Amino acid sequence: MIEMILATIFFPGVIFVLAVSLFYEWIDRKLYARFQNRIGPHLTGPFGLFQPIADLIKLLSKEDIVPMAADRLLFTLTPMLAPALMLFACMFLPIAGPSGVLSFEGDLIVVIALLSLYTITVYLAGEGSNNRFASIGAVRASLQLIGYEIPLTLSLLSAAVAAGSLSIRGIVEVQAEKGLWLIAGIQLIGFMIFVIASQAEMEKIPFDIPEAEQEIVSGWEVEYGGRRLALFRLSKDLELFLLSGLGAAIFLGGPLGPVIPGLEPILYVIYFLLKSIIVLAIFTLIRALFARLRIDQMVSFSWRYLMPPAMILMILTEVIV
Amino acid sequence: MSFEIPIGPQHPIHVEPLMLRLTVEGELIVDVDVDVSYIHKGIEKALETRPYIQGLYLVERICGICNAAHSLCYCLNIEQLLGKEAPPRAKYLRIIVEELSRIHSHLLWLGHYFHTLGFETLFMYFWRDRERVMDMLELITGNRVITSYNTIGGVRRDLAPEAEQNLRRALDYIEERMRYYEKVIDSEPTILARTQGVGILKPEDAVKMGAVGPHLRASRIKHDIRLDDPYSGHDEVPFNVVTWDTCDCYARIKVRVREVYECVNMIRYALDHIPSGDYRLKIPSFFKTPPGESLARVEAPRGELVHYSISDGGEKPYRYRVRTPTLANLLSVTEMLRSRGDYEVYIADVPAILGGIDPCICCSARIVITDEARRRRMTMTLDDIIRLSRERRVEKR
Amino acid sequence: MRIPGRLLAEALRSLFRRRATILYPYRELDKIHLPEGFRGRIEFDRAKCIGCQLCFRVCPARAIEMIEDEKGKRPIFYIYKCIYCAQCAEVCPTKAISMSKTFENIALRKEDLVVR
Repeated sequence: MIEMILATIFFPGVIFVLAVSLFYEWIDRKLYARFQNRIGPHLTGPFGLFQPIADLIKLLSKEDIVPMAADRLLFTLTPMLAPALMLFACMFLPIAGPSGVLSFEGDLIVVIALLSLYTITVYLAGEGSNNRFASIGAVRASLQLIGYEIPLTLSLLSAAVAAGSLSIRGIVEVQAEKGLWLIAGIQLIGFMIFVIASQAEMEKIPFDIPEAEQEIVSGWEVEYGGRRLALFRLSKDLELFLLSGLGAAIFLGGPLGPVIPGLEPILYVIYFLLKSIIVLAIFTLIRALFARLRIDQMVSFSWRYLMPPAMILMILTEVIV
Repeated sequence: MSFEIPIGPQHPIHVEPLMLRLTVEGELIVDVDVDVSYIHKGIEKALETRPYIQGLYLVERICGICNAAHSLCYCLNIEQLLGKEAPPRAKYLRIIVEELSRIHSHLLWLGHYFHTLGFETLFMYFWRDRERVMDMLELITGNRVITSYNTIGGVRRDLAPEAEQNLRRALDYIEERMRYYEKVIDSEPTILARTQGVGILKPEDAVKMGAVGPHLRASRIKHDIRLDDPYSGHDEVPFNVVTWDTCDCYARIKVRVREVYECVNMIRYALDHIPSGDYRLKIPSFFKTPPGESLARVEAPRGELVHYSISDGGEKPYRYRVRTPTLANLLSVTEMLRSRGDYEVYIADVPAILGGIDPCICCSARIVITDEARRRRMTMTLDDIIRLSRERRVEKR
Repeated sequence: MRIPGRLLAEALRSLFRRRATILYPYRELDKIHLPEGFRGRIEFDRAKCIGCQLCFRVCPARAIEMIEDEKGKRPIFYIYKCIYCAQCAEVCPTKAISMSKTFENIALRKEDLVVR
């Protein structure tokens, strides 16, 4: 029991996940800057490693403002809900071994549901702040959900069908047994769909439509400041970690790999982090290569170019298995 | 349900205070109201209180980016009043600096435009390459942005031979980079999706709304002051006026990209054929101009720039008037932003359309707005305005 | 031809290129090339000055003040008002005024930004 609690709080639980997700934000920012021939964060800590933490602390220490017109309940609740949802979802990631802190048959579905719930939280956060830009951003976020949610789900589910298990643990173990990652084979299409749809889930270029700084200032989060904004930013980092970890676990074999006996726990963590950093790098690269689409273009793009392959993939996987 | 969205006076897409009141239904814009008068700087009045030589440096600060065009226009004006003309070498040097600053302005615009489209990487690349042009401006004129190169009766310094070598190398670099970027722009689907068919301004509308510069040329109309009214030896330097047929935001990108090539070729030609001789006339620092009026037009990077001055025979201008290109272009923005029929404009298109005219608001806030709150609207003839201004002057005295 | 992600090669290449950023405050002075004739902080050679007041009259920013001393009227330059147009250096008949290459004219005390 005590072991379980320790695992939840320290490793590979809350503290570890928070630290790693802040580290991932640093990787994301640094890589993005390097793609653009810039330097990126470089002042705080070695190579600017502590910049995300510094930003977070700075935001936490700022004045807390609730606009008069805002819905006080939603305005307070959503910033707490968003990181909580993401932290919960991160508990399913198989960081130190084939299963996460939480693991049961069907946990993949729970993770997908938590991702959708997060978008609904975003919608409520936008509408609750009762600002014109925020409500446009909130509407855009929920409209975007229509576009990417089904391809994202389908891509993950076809991997589940291919592995014959609906739990992340099962999928990881099947890949270890076969000695072959799911990405080798037709699930490569699934991985591509997953990466593109995740980009929309994380609201990053080319799908950063709900925040679109140049159009609607920063969309649904425009009224949030201080610690509320810090919590939203934290939830975004957690989401980044969750999605790159999920991609690594489902398609790249998760934490499993060649091990030296006795060193498994450390090697598992290293493998998992390395693989998810590869997925993260792909996310960042996509962010650097495109312009932002319009909301109608985004929805029609995903129904035209993401849905049919996702459907076909699902059917194909079903036939092969 | 329609509601109003204020884009401005402070908004991430514009650095300067411009107010666009959009009436939207969902994401669709149905009406728009523009207000530019947030940043009146009083430069015209300040010019009336300074001797000509000091006004030269003030006029450059109307707009940081087109400072070379502003100071050139000012110098042309005063030279016209004095009845003098810059020596041939000065004209060529003026062309070189003017075209360099046009390249710098266009690269700045391209970068900023892709930033408004959310394409951060291209923005960084454009601005990185722009640094090279800034270095060249620094090399020739002594400063990166505010060049202070033109002076009344010529330019302030000659072109050093080693600077010429550097300049040619930089031009090669810029041209090569621009060819690459043009390929990227032409083949990147997200850019095309955001710009093609967006913000269409038909040629007849463009003329009716008084659009100028690259914005007008993107609407298929061949209009360029350098061609129509060669003001600084432009009749000797060959160049093409770039126009584009599609009349949309994509056309505006293409026109500016192609214009950079033209600028590069013009500078090369000017370097090859530059005549020797003096680069400035000997004009004392303080002088009086004969009474009269003068008007000069310059093709600034953003379009036609007009300066008008009246002299009463003193050491200072009696009246100085500036019409910047953005003011002329802003009217057409309202036209482009209104959806009608099957022409639909979304909120997401506002940055793309507004950015397309290369807005520079702080140059433009020089107009008087009718007092709508008090429901007072005055229509005045030119004579009325002249009479009023005279009366005011008398009152003040 | 529509090629999504055309910038890919360039983005990957810049990953291994030297960054274009120049760190500030300037630690990489080799990256800054100031050309001859750069207009920086004003330098004033008091011995050459003849007190003709041309610089004072010509200055558009009114950054020059004439002060009476034992030799006559001499200018002092307020760098915090200067717009670096170098018009004073241009009109000076004895070339007592020149523009140096110092461009970071920042100080905690106003007196540090005055050239006599």
